[in-house]
Amino acid sequence: MQNDIRDLLYSANRIILGKPYKIRLALCCLLARGHLLIEDIPGVGKTTLAHTLAKLLGLNYQRIQFTSDILPADILGTSVFDAKNHEFKFHPGPIFNQMVLADEINRATPKAQSALLEAMEEQHVTIEGVTYPLPNPFFVIATQNPSHQIGTFPLPESQLDRFLMRIELGYPDHEAERQLLKGQNRHKLIQSLEVKLPSDHLLSMQQSVTEVYVSNALLDYCQAIISFTRTSPDYHYGLSPRAGLALLNAAKAWAFMDQRDAVLPEDIQAVLAAVAGHRLRSGDNDSEAIVAPILAKVAVL
Amino acid sequence: MNIVHNKNNLIFLLCSIGLIVLPHFRNLPAAISAFFYLLLGWRFIGIWKQNWLPGKPGIFLLSVCGLALLYSQYQGMLGRDAGTRLFIAALALKLFEIRSERDLYLITYLAFIVAASQFLYEQSLLMAAYILFVCCVLLATLISINSNKPQTGAALKTAFTIIVQALPMAVVLFILFPRIEAPRWMLFNERHQAKSGLSDSMEPGSITSLGMSDELVFRVKFTGALPPPAQRYWRGPVLSRTDGKHWTQAANMEFRQLDKPVFKGLSYQYTLLMEPQDKKWVFALDMPAEYSLPLSRNANYQLITSAYPDKRVEYKITSYTQYNTGYITHAEYEDATQLPGKPSGKIKQLVSQLHGFDGTPDIFIKNLLNHFRTQNFHYTLTPPLMEEDPIESFLFKTRYGFCSHYAAAFVYLMRTAHIPARVVTGYQGGELNKIGGFLEIRQADAHAWAEVWLKNRGWTRVDSTAAVAPERVERNINMERFVSGNAFSLAPTSNTAQEVFNWLKQARQLWGNVDYNWQRWVINYDNRNQARFLSSLGIPDIKTMIYWMIVITALLTLVLSWFLLHQKQKNTDRALRIYNRFCKKISNRGLLRGSGEGAKDFAERIKIKFPESKGDIDQITEIFIKLHYGKNATSDDLKALSKYVALFKM
Repeated sequence: MQNDIRDLLYSANRIILGKPYKIRLALCCLLARGHLLIEDIPGVGKTTLAHTLAKLLGLNYQRIQFTSDILPADILGTSVFDAKNHEFKFHPGPIFNQMVLADEINRATPKAQSALLEAMEEQHVTIEGVTYPLPNPFFVIATQNPSHQIGTFPLPESQLDRFLMRIELGYPDHEAERQLLKGQNRHKLIQSLEVKLPSDHLLSMQQSVTEVYVSNALLDYCQAIISFTRTSPDYHYGLSPRAGLALLNAAKAWAFMDQRDAVLPEDIQAVLAAVAGHRLRSGDNDSEAIVAPILAKVAVL
Repeated sequence: MNIVHNKNNLIFLLCSIGLIVLPHFRNLPAAISAFFYLLLGWRFIGIWKQNWLPGKPGIFLLSVCGLALLYSQYQGMLGRDAGTRLFIAALALKLFEIRSERDLYLITYLAFIVAASQFLYEQSLLMAAYILFVCCVLLATLISINSNKPQTGAALKTAFTIIVQALPMAVVLFILFPRIEAPRWMLFNERHQAKSGLSDSMEPGSITSLGMSDELVFRVKFTGALPPPAQRYWRGPVLSRTDGKHWTQAANMEFRQLDKPVFKGLSYQYTLLMEPQDKKWVFALDMPAEYSLPLSRNANYQLITSAYPDKRVEYKITSYTQYNTGYITHAEYEDATQLPGKPSGKIKQLVSQLHGFDGTPDIFIKNLLNHFRTQNFHYTLTPPLMEEDPIESFLFKTRYGFCSHYAAAFVYLMRTAHIPARVVTGYQGGELNKIGGFLEIRQADAHAWAEVWLKNRGWTRVDSTAAVAPERVERNINMERFVSGNAFSLAPTSNTAQEVFNWLKQARQLWGNVDYNWQRWVINYDNRNQARFLSSLGIPDIKTMIYWMIVITALLTLVLSWFLLHQKQKNTDRALRIYNRFCKKISNRGLLRGSGEGAKDFAERIKIKFPESKGDIDQITEIFIKLHYGKNATSDDLKALSKYVALFKM
């Protein structure tokens, strides 16, 4: 099972060059049953990452390009009158896919944004009184342009909280960029990818992640972090209980990916920036800098 | 909000300053008190009406006023009074100069000094409690200045906690810190407290009303048994010269200092705590046998202290109630038989009628006492005025008088019969504090009795008042009430009243006991007492004591730090302690684990630096992680970890 993960990461790293840590975080997010928010300027490989993951996991994949005039029905689906049967028939929207890429989510109006986010949270869609369950596994990768760009509706804190992690991809380094420029077309490469982790495996792995052991010593550390964010003058507001749970779940997934059956403080530290960054200071997209005081000041042992 | 303009802080500060200066009211001239409280009130209003406060020229004018006031009141800048007043005036003026946080601190510290200066005036237990309370409020002010969310209740609570935590340290410092005897001219005198009790002369005929104050004169704690009430005579000045109205001490009191009376019967050992007095007399139980410096005895067996009597001092004395002083000196005889002119015929007649000229002294004394008892003599505190021939008018006309009248008349008659006699003044009785087991002697217990010289017995005490009012001597009832009170009765009628009365009496005794111990153990803990106490602990001098102080402080610090460290370690398990040992070994080589660094990351880091110990580091880290974070750790793992860490070498 662990070999699958290694293979998957290996293949993904061949497509997105020089970002093994971010890819690992993205997979970790998936294993912890969370949704992922990628915040970066256009063209650094956000879509490629989502597409690669979908392909490697064998998930059916749909991309929704958010624009300022997108409507909730465009995301969720709508009922259309079937002339043959004389009845309304529900046409599911793009959200009824195992992996949904919500591209440039902050370009849409808040109404459309909240339609997506509600579906993410509830794992089902209710239209005209009928509830349609979403597929399982269900994974949303939303991308977002930095909010200082023109024509964006930045996601409010309450909506950001729906995403387990927020990562930035950033520019590739010199070496990776050179390889990228020299290499093949990424689209073609993605098309040639094989499924490394079928969805039944993924589901059982998600189950295994919840069984990773958490010791009291680790909970002490986790709580120390939470109370630090609540009392430290570095932050205007601290982590919520939901954020604490998210942090623990992500750390469990990270430990699982590292082939361990118990969570270590290092696991928490590895996912902390991605999990806590957008929850502590939404406007700032340098998550590493946001959590730096925590890593430095909260005692591990 | 700006700290300086935070209303809460200012109100708190001004209130606490008002409280601090309050007890100084009694020591300050009214003008300075008024100056202080006027300025305080002005500043208080200024909290809401900022523009009512004076500007720089205004403050300058006020300062000049203050200085002029100080100068007019004291004409100088030295000494306790001047210093305290200067501080208080400066505190009031500084209130108008609150511009930055620094000023607030300065004011608070000034207020602490003013609070402490109160002890230069009064050192009672109640005052100490009050000053402690005031310091608590001041501390709370400091706390609320320093916290960003000032909350009065929480600040007071913190201040209280701080004070309680500081108390053990204060006790240690109190006991061990070198106590410096202040020079006399400096601050620590209690002269204003010194009370004039007995005087060195008496003139019973000229007094029409004897004021009896409840004021404490001294307290006595016996180590063994107490003498019976009828024996509790506390000897003061002896008056032997008289001009018929006025009685004074003999001029020559230097003789007889070295000879010792023969003492008989039980000895009484006691400590006597004198309240501040303006005379150097110490009222020992009649008759003192053993005493030490600074006490000495004069020719009349009265104890005199060579120390300053305006301080509260404790003396250790041994007395015997039975004694024989033996012979009489020529000078004594002269003094004790001296009469102003010849006695009148009436008096001579009385003496011969009572067999003064033909009987033995014993018979004459007995007859005379009997005469007082049977011939309608009365005890009163409000005797009629006897300006001319007081003794004759007392004996034959008024027949009303208090102890001095009886003693004077008795002595006069004795001398008429050529028996040496003199008046002894002092105190008689004393109230037993049942809780503390000590006697309290008050001004109301002042007494006068007679002393006659008898062959083979020496000077012998005869209390002529006892013949008239035995209650005065034996039961020690408050005479004022006893004599003048026909309406007042000592035993209240109803049960509840009785209970309340008993309760009040008990409360008073309890308080008397607390105060006595406070005076004895806290106020009287001077350098001599300290030296005595420390030498009983085996600390002979100041140098050793300073060493001790260092040792105790170090010990306290150690205990506290151990406690703090231990508290932190309690939450962690043994594995962590062993792992910390491992970290210690590595830190000896210059690599320190950051507090935010996990064991795994740390292992990675040190493996780079010490690749040769890679295996050991991995093993130790792995077992530690298993123990600390894993779920199936066993005690074997702990042993293994302990072993590996012990063996670990770099």
